[in-house]
Amino acid sequence: MDALVALWAQAQAALFESVVQPAVFHLGLVSWLEAAFDATEIFMIGAAEIVVLAAVLGALEKWRPVEVWADRRPVRVDIAYTLLVRLGVLPLAIFFLLLPVVDGLDGWLRMHDFIPPKLEDAFPALFDHPVASFLAYLVVIDFVLYWVHRAQHAFGWWWALHALHHSQREMTFWTDDRNHLLDMVITDLVLAVAALLVGVAPGQFVAIVAVTRAVESLSHANVRLAFGRVGERLLVSPRFHRVHHAIGLGHEGARQGCNFAVLFPVWDHLFGTANPVREFPATGIRDQLHGRDYGEGFWRQQWLGLKRLAGRA
Amino acid sequence: MKYLGKTILLAAMAWGATAHAVFAPGEKVIVLNSGDGSISIVDPVTRKEEKRVPVGKEPHHLMATPDNKELIVANAASNDLVFLDPKTGDILRRVADISDPYQIGYSPDRKWFVSASNRLDRVDIYHGATLKLARRLPTGKVPSHIAFSADSKLAFVTLQESSEFIAIDLEKQEIAWKMATGKQPAGIWMTPDDRHLLIGITGESHLEIYDWRARKLVKRILTGLGAHNFVAKGDGRHVFLSNRMANTISLVDQQTLEVKETFPVPGGPDCMEITKDGRQLWTTSRWIRMVTVVDLETKKVLHQIPVGKSPHGLYFQSHAPRR
Repeated sequence: MDALVALWAQAQAALFESVVQPAVFHLGLVSWLEAAFDATEIFMIGAAEIVVLAAVLGALEKWRPVEVWADRRPVRVDIAYTLLVRLGVLPLAIFFLLLPVVDGLDGWLRMHDFIPPKLEDAFPALFDHPVASFLAYLVVIDFVLYWVHRAQHAFGWWWALHALHHSQREMTFWTDDRNHLLDMVITDLVLAVAALLVGVAPGQFVAIVAVTRAVESLSHANVRLAFGRVGERLLVSPRFHRVHHAIGLGHEGARQGCNFAVLFPVWDHLFGTANPVREFPATGIRDQLHGRDYGEGFWRQQWLGLKRLAGRA
Repeated sequence: MKYLGKTILLAAMAWGATAHAVFAPGEKVIVLNSGDGSISIVDPVTRKEEKRVPVGKEPHHLMATPDNKELIVANAASNDLVFLDPKTGDILRRVADISDPYQIGYSPDRKWFVSASNRLDRVDIYHGATLKLARRLPTGKVPSHIAFSADSKLAFVTLQESSEFIAIDLEKQEIAWKMATGKQPAGIWMTPDDRHLLIGITGESHLEIYDWRARKLVKRILTGLGAHNFVAKGDGRHVFLSNRMANTISLVDQQTLEVKETFPVPGGPDCMEITKDGRQLWTTSRWIRMVTVVDLETKKVLHQIPVGKSPHGLYFQSHAPRR
């Protein structure tokens, strides 16, 4: 394990010192060196994640696919989304967009004698147990994500954007990152403020994102896989999440959908949004059956999202 | 081959003997791993990390209390200070509600404890005795390192993104004046005669020397790309400066205001400590998760010790004098 960590550190240092650091210096952004060093690792994690996901989840999808498509062209755009997100291109842009907002809020709070609390203040034992601390923050952030997801379906304007994610009818593990850019910005802003208010450290946040993304990729996979009677209540499975994407189920009913949880289905069980259907239904949005166009290419999808938001598509 | 083996053995024994002689029995080297929120406790004799202990979120810098009885770790993202046993690194206590402490420092008269809030563009001034907040001062962008005038009247803070440094009047608790510098000033160091401020210009390749009373730039000296942080050699005359991007360390003569030599140290050298016998330099190699030990006679790297992620501050009790 130590050898693996050393190898990883060497690779990060080599990439950073040969490519990233000179670029940061020439751009006059030396104050961002540490952030750039962290970003280098985020890029590496993303690249490793893509390789592992493609190998493992790709094999799973071949082993027990829910659906087999002759034409896989609609999947290609999801691959582009995944590369843009997981290699850090879009997150970096959003980071620079949101940082002044979040730091501005944080600074303002402190000038008004409010230092944001952290879970460790309430549970000092977490100071000495980083794994427990990580799990505690993971649960809190997952809880926030559940309610963000509820809001994405509950508010018409937010659904106008989020519908892009649901419009994939050939859902695979690549689909997780298929989102409208504005949807990403809003979600990230809520998450960043939540992280600030509960005291998630930047390093912890990166780890939380990595774990969450891995589970999300699995839960979108085109694989006939469920976790059994108990497991289905513990972790979101491909079956559980597929029902959330199902035509006629995923965005309908009194609560505009079901199975909103990202990691832990307990939230759906607690708040009455769990759907226990033990099936693997077709994915998409009902109005696609009546010809509504959500676009095929990246830019068309983004443009149509904005038009829906303006009530013109 | 036999001869070579003996030489290595002798060298190793000499190193071990030196380490024993310099460090007190049971003394540890304490390293802050800013990336994973822990401290590495390193045995200076075996040169091994003995343990890694969680300390808080984003610990970047540390310093001894003025009485040298405790070591203060500033956890920037935890908004707290953790006090350690300076010899062993054992955690003694935690002081909460210290906002975003990045660099910290006591005024020489111990009256004020100053904390630069690197992320939130503030400098906070606390009462030295109680650590109660006295004043929160908004500043320019990215306040970084801190130095003091000998009479404790002024605190000087570099502002990395504003490319300037400010002088804070500690009695009035307001910014008295400011001066423009080169790009991204970081480390700031008061010469022992209290005359000059040395500033590492991290966005460029040099050191700037200011006559702070005359508020005048006296000199620029080329050192290396990413000139960053200082530590005294301990002879009252020389100071080391790490050049993070050049992967070098320069030795600066504070009397002649010249660079005497510059030698390579890999991995983005950052904070440094010098052993009290002046023979070794220990530095955090930020980008490679190591602490690097350099022999100051030969300027060769003696050891690289694996520690945690993004190691930043480091400390040991048997350090050279701070001047």
